[in-house]
Amino acid sequence: MVDRWLRREDERLLTGAGRFVADLRVPGCLDAVFVRSEVAHGVLREADCSAARETPGVAGAWSAADLPGLPPMPDTRQGEATREWPSLVKNRVRYPGEALAVVLGDDRYRAEDGAGRVLVRIDPLPAVVTAEEAAGDEVRLFDGLSNVALHGEAGQPIDDEVWERAAVVVESDYRQQLLMPSPMECRTILCVPEGDRLTVWSGHQAPHRLRSDLARLLGRPEKSIRVVVPDTGGAFGSKSAVFPEFIVVAWLAERLGRPVRWIEDRRESLLVATRGRGQDQHVRLAADADGRLVAYELTVEADVGAYPHLGVAFPMQTAWMATGPYTTPQVHATVRSVLTNTMMTYPYRGAGRPEATSPLERTMDVLARRLDLDPAELRRRNLIPPEQFPYRTPTGRVYDSGDHLAALDLALRTLDYDGWRAEQARRRADPGALPVGVGLSCYVERSGGERGSLHDYVGVEAGEDGGVVARCGASSSGQSHATVFPALVAETLGVDPARVRLVEGDTDELPGGVGSFGSRSAQIDGAGLQHAATLLIEEARERAARMWDLPVEETAWSDGAVHPVRGTAAMGLSELVKRTGPLRIDERYEADMAFPFGTHAAVVEVDPDLGTVRVLRLVAVDDCGRALDPAVVRGQAFGSVVQGLGQALYEGVPFGDDGVPVLGNGLLDYLLPTYAEIPPIELGETRTPTPRTPLGAKGAGESGCIGTPPAIVNAVADALRLDHPDRLQMPLTPDVVWRAAA
Amino acid sequence: MKPTAFDYLAPGTVGEAVDALAAGAQVLAGGQSLLLEMHLQRVHPNLVADINHIPGLDALTVADGTLTVGALVRHKTFESPGAVPGPLGDLFGRAVANIAHPPIRARGTMVGSLAWAHPASEWCALAVALDAVVELRSTRGTREVPAGDYFLGPFRTAREPDELLTAVRYPLLAPDTGVAFTEHRRTGFSFAQVAVGAALTIRDGVITEARIGLANCADRPLRAHAAERALVGSGPSSPVFARAGETAAEQDAAPVPEPYADVDYRRHVIAVLVARTLREAAPV
Ligand SMILES: Cc1cc2nc3c(=O)[nH]c(=O)nc-3n(C[C@H](O)[C@H](O)[C@H](O)COP(=O)(O)OP(=O)(O)OC[C@H]3O[C@@H](n4cnc5c(N)ncnc54)[C@H](O)[C@@H]3O)c2cc1C
Repeated sequence: MVDRWLRREDERLLTGAGRFVADLRVPGCLDAVFVRSEVAHGVLREADCSAARETPGVAGAWSAADLPGLPPMPDTRQGEATREWPSLVKNRVRYPGEALAVVLGDDRYRAEDGAGRVLVRIDPLPAVVTAEEAAGDEVRLFDGLSNVALHGEAGQPIDDEVWERAAVVVESDYRQQLLMPSPMECRTILCVPEGDRLTVWSGHQAPHRLRSDLARLLGRPEKSIRVVVPDTGGAFGSKSAVFPEFIVVAWLAERLGRPVRWIEDRRESLLVATRGRGQDQHVRLAADADGRLVAYELTVEADVGAYPHLGVAFPMQTAWMATGPYTTPQVHATVRSVLTNTMMTYPYRGAGRPEATSPLERTMDVLARRLDLDPAELRRRNLIPPEQFPYRTPTGRVYDSGDHLAALDLALRTLDYDGWRAEQARRRADPGALPVGVGLSCYVERSGGERGSLHDYVGVEAGEDGGVVARCGASSSGQSHATVFPALVAETLGVDPARVRLVEGDTDELPGGVGSFGSRSAQIDGAGLQHAATLLIEEARERAARMWDLPVEETAWSDGAVHPVRGTAAMGLSELVKRTGPLRIDERYEADMAFPFGTHAAVVEVDPDLGTVRVLRLVAVDDCGRALDPAVVRGQAFGSVVQGLGQALYEGVPFGDDGVPVLGNGLLDYLLPTYAEIPPIELGETRTPTPRTPLGAKGAGESGCIGTPPAIVNAVADALRLDHPDRLQMPLTPDVVWRAAA
Repeated sequence: MKPTAFDYLAPGTVGEAVDALAAGAQVLAGGQSLLLEMHLQRVHPNLVADINHIPGLDALTVADGTLTVGALVRHKTFESPGAVPGPLGDLFGRAVANIAHPPIRARGTMVGSLAWAHPASEWCALAVALDAVVELRSTRGTREVPAGDYFLGPFRTAREPDELLTAVRYPLLAPDTGVAFTEHRRTGFSFAQVAVGAALTIRDGVITEARIGLANCADRPLRAHAAERALVGSGPSSPVFARAGETAAEQDAAPVPEPYADVDYRRHVIAVLVARTLREAAPV
């Protein structure tokens, strides 16, 4: 197996030759700027655009009242049509930053000048920004309707008796704070109408879905829209939907017959980009005297944003994954999704699994302390052993494969667990030394997608020139698809990887596509491409057999050429295509979901006087089945570990009393980890292929967001020897740690 | 966000610059705060006077025991050991490492920081602690204002809108002065939650002079007078420094709550950090 495939995208991206939506120059293109609400909740009395229209360089300015036909956001939830999400506010503002009017200008500067002249009057209403406040329905986002948008559960309720009889029961509350996905490139869309076609350029994770959403909203045939995804600077889940701004831009471009684009800036992004997490949780975990888990109960209150959307049902991901990697016989998870005056909560890297892993792993550490057991030993006693796979969990998942103990052991060895425990003991004996803590987190997650999105469209085509084109419905936003997929196809065909080229992110190239989210690209599209390449080999052999008048069994394939089993006269793909005509395989490939897993470990040093946390060491052992290109997988693991570090220590959305996030100074207020914060990170891997595809790859890339935060928090709790960790809520900013230590 | 429309002027002399200021211009020095504020549309100058082309404003001179820092001396200048002699240079070197990150330090200026008067600014805290004097020029003439009278509140100073801050002057510190600077912040590049600079003179085992500057401990930079009084005349010791820290926190500071740093936490950090800074300035 290769360790590193020829990298295709680095030179272009690292030398500034990448082409992102904002780099595309289209003559006559107008820039859209949105006038945004400065209040979180209120009644819109007026949004008067007349002065804006008179501003030099402004091509037009409109509020909802000026655009009666403007379609609202598509409602992805059935039966909630009464809770309409207008693309521009009609009469009620429900989250800060919600768009009140749009101004189109010759460039962004002029459009902003115009936007500054839109007169807005809003009568503020009280805002509710937490699920707890909102669930009481004292302030309703939709008159006459409850803010509670969904109740859900996974597993069976657990009898009181179970808790009463258990040797130990640990109860805790946790907050999974709201996070901003913060890709380097914020959201982008450029709509270019030409004749009866509309070309949409967007940094997007699901171009075909964007096409069908726009087609439905604009009332035009899908075929008349082409969505193209050029270079995209990160997404992390935040670029997989259609957004109010997208609808406005597409609708105006179509009506005006002019190219229009919206390039979201950081300030807008911090206000109105989708956010992740946002759960208040209560857990109960019961064990017998030997530390064998008996029952686990997770209660989730999710703040899902101001309008029903995918985010409403999304916390069910957490419920389904509540069992984690343990053999706990009884698990019950309940979810209540509550509308709040915030932008919608949506999948963010990890998407539901960090929220499942964190409460369980933190509670495991509390349980270990309660039982006076080493936390590694407690986990060892409960991890699902390899022979029990496929493993059906009480919360309805069927884990495909796993060797959780191997991952745990490797993580302990990589960390030098015993060495750090000795160091910890040494420091505890020295009153002048800063305490260190060691934290573990064993996780299992889900990759590939949910029912309905477990397939994708793939294609492999051989050309007369000897080149091979691979096509798939995935869409890279920085995951090295152009490196990995051609190499995979080349390896399957036995041709030089330089001959294979990837085409993706273009709806004209494939009949359909699902996209890149939920750690599905390698697992589904990769397996699909391997499958399509195999079919291409079969087709080549059949054609050769006909040509040579041989039974197919008498032909063979090796090194990119077909040849008779007996004899040496091989025929390469280009010759075959010249002789027999175009050779293209198009497939809809489907495979079941898979369950990557691993163990993360952290060592921290805490300054209890100030509450500062220094991460001395992070270890991430991940198992994503077969790693197609280990270097790419390591890059993904590294990046997600850093984002996990961000959730654990730095990132959060503080709200003012008025319900508006206090993020006026951009990334000086929303602190992301930078190179100065990155500790020594050591990655390790175990390899347990998924039996669900011949390729054996599971998803990789979300692991750090899932496994790392509880490892760090556990390490801090360990350093401070906290018996009850409720006060240690993320992000562990110095003030939080100081209070917990006091 | 984009700035609103503005005119741009690059004066070639201080005289031209103050004429522009009299006409309502706003000074562009390193631009590391101004440009951000303009992009966030929190300031909307109609006219920007870029002083970067004025010869001589980048002078850093030492004469008669006084250091003079011109308006175009960049933060990073103070990273070079020996740029400023003696303990003052040492103190500046310790402080500057806390300001933002290298690209910002390459452009941003010390005088620009004093003009901007961010409550968390390291330079502003040191200016009040060290009895700096700022030099202001306008078409009406030149005046000097002691740092102690200069800072009036967050982003508010005694500078009139038409005055150019041409330089700041500091008395050099005696060679036997012990100095230290410590800072508490959430990430390597964020603004300080609390920062403390100290200069201590100890003669015959007794503290004879103490200067303590506090950044982000109030709505403006502070000199911790009460804590200094508590020190002078005592011998340097951990308990004395701890008491000075508590005094600074309780009597000198007037912390303003911020996300992740409410008043109680901030007072606590001030006490800890002042004590630590003093210990570092005078190892006991
Ligand atoms: C990400 C980031 C992090 C930062 N972190 C820190 C930090 O940790 N600590 C810190 O202290 N600062 C920090 N800063 C601010 C930085 O230090 C600025 O450089 C400094 O505040 C202003 O100096 P400047 O020369 O860039 O001034 P400019 O940005 O050019 O000007 C700032 C203001 O002062 C006025 N002005 C400037 N010079 C004069 C003058 N000679 N006469 C009259 N008025 C003048 C301008 O008109 C403007 O109003 C940070 C900035 C950023 C963007």
